[in-house]
Amino acid sequence: MENNQVVSEHERNISSKVDTTKGFNIKKLIKSPIIYLSLIIFSLINVYPIVWMVINSFKSQQEFSLDPFFLPDTWRWDNYIDAWQTANLGTYFFNSIFVAVISVVVTVLFGALSSYFLARFTFKMNKLVYVLFIFGMIIPIHATLVPMFILMNNLGLLNTGWTLLFPYVAFNLPLTIFILTSFMKAFPKDIEESAIMDGCGIFRIFWSIILPMSRPAIATVTILNFIHCWNEFSFALVLINDESLKTIPLGLANFSGQYNTNYTGQMAGLTMVIIPTILLYVLLEKHIVKGMTAGAVKG
Amino acid sequence: MHILQRNKLAIFIGLIPALIIYLTFSIIPIVISIYYSFMEWNGFGPMEFVGLQNFIDIAKDPIFWKAVKNNIYVVLASVFGQIPIALVLALLLNRKVKGAKLFRTIGFMPVVISTVVISLTWNMFYNSEIGFINRFLEGIGLGSLTQNWLGDPKWAMISVCITIIWQFVGLYFIIFLAALQNVPGEVLEAAEIDGASGWKRTIFITIPMIWDSILISVILCISGSLRTFDLIYVMTNGGPAHSTEVMAIYMYEKTFSSMKYGYGSAVSLYIFVFSLLLIWISRLLLQRKSK
Repeated sequence: MENNQVVSEHERNISSKVDTTKGFNIKKLIKSPIIYLSLIIFSLINVYPIVWMVINSFKSQQEFSLDPFFLPDTWRWDNYIDAWQTANLGTYFFNSIFVAVISVVVTVLFGALSSYFLARFTFKMNKLVYVLFIFGMIIPIHATLVPMFILMNNLGLLNTGWTLLFPYVAFNLPLTIFILTSFMKAFPKDIEESAIMDGCGIFRIFWSIILPMSRPAIATVTILNFIHCWNEFSFALVLINDESLKTIPLGLANFSGQYNTNYTGQMAGLTMVIIPTILLYVLLEKHIVKGMTAGAVKG
Repeated sequence: MHILQRNKLAIFIGLIPALIIYLTFSIIPIVISIYYSFMEWNGFGPMEFVGLQNFIDIAKDPIFWKAVKNNIYVVLASVFGQIPIALVLALLLNRKVKGAKLFRTIGFMPVVISTVVISLTWNMFYNSEIGFINRFLEGIGLGSLTQNWLGDPKWAMISVCITIIWQFVGLYFIIFLAALQNVPGEVLEAAEIDGASGWKRTIFITIPMIWDSILISVILCISGSLRTFDLIYVMTNGGPAHSTEVMAIYMYEKTFSSMKYGYGSAVSLYIFVFSLLLIWISRLLLQRKSK
């Protein structure tokens, strides 16, 4: 119950307005330029490295070395074509989408099913299983890199298209179960009772009642897991070697080495990679912020 | 619930897929690392049981301790960089400000971007020849201040820490904003009537009221910055001259470059224990303070 409050608090806060104080006084009017100035400086620092990269990705090498600060004279796409062709970006994109989509579907489906039983049923091991899952949120991922490599090696799962799905699902389940369980716990008790009267089976209740009711939380964990998988680097670094299986972050890390001196090409590559993330963020900001802070606050 | 007894099987079926994947790929690796940490193994040949030798060797390696020190450095930079900046910004935004939503959106943006992209972008930003910082310093006539930011052992750690701070300020900014919105307006109004000025209200009323969020953020910040690996791996790979090496980089180097799998497993256990210990200590502090 407490957990759920955390989640719903975030929901409220994120969508709520900023202030409740009304009216105005002269003191505030003088103060506000300083406030705006600070906030604008912060925003500039926050976006400038990215904007700098995007602007310069449209320049030729010479233009960049003459003027690295301002907008390009002509916006050229050469760097983009060049980066896409030489850097295998198409392959990386495909691999990232494949790994992220499948891991997210599996994580959310299995996670939701577990959460349903953990949230709506009382049984002896309930608390134990829940705590076991939640413990996963504090496992330092880097401490598992070496043993994960050994384990995957023993299982013959190094360097395959499926390799990354296993650690991604395993390490995203705890947060998924945490968010979904606290959400499902808040439903009134009589939901299942009337369904059982109507002769619904347990899995039927899950599929046709609980799952649709959990839609907001499902949306949050789906997006959150997607971003985690999309950005994940360490497991990919350790478990994947094959050029044709690399995901975007892993491919990019090498890309910088290859492109050591073609900076504008590198910037074009990074810009292409960053665009889907930023689009997703702008479109689904509410869910992303809610998920990340809810997970963070408990993690 | 009366349907329960009939449905032990259903519960079992429902929990088992998630449990199997989770246990196999998240809990078992830790157990495996205990086993291998007692071995000497190059990944191919036969394994040899060496007892606690790996742990002793690690404890004797000055580079390991340098990595521990750098890890602590990153933790301190994060706690004393991210939290105060985020708090001040959240306090500034917590009033009627036009464009508040935009400031929030921009503020949180770096948190969602892949660490690898951030590292590569900042690498170019710091680049001694073409990077923004040096070019900017030259442009405003401060060419004497230019540095090889990531290539100079004196500056590398500071530069890396600035990027780490930049990456996560937004997360705490949003957490604090959320907390601030739960401070009831009546309390502040009452204080205003009593004659408390703006900054007094902030220090004596607002901050104590969100103290719990601040402590939670500190814990988060500690455990988050302990995990630093991707960023340093891409930016400096621990160099130059081990000046930015953290424990995870040390572990990676020893395992996959020097092919010492047993040794690497032992380092993993050190990381595991260090992290849990630090999280446990900070939770303890939190509980005591919030009483």
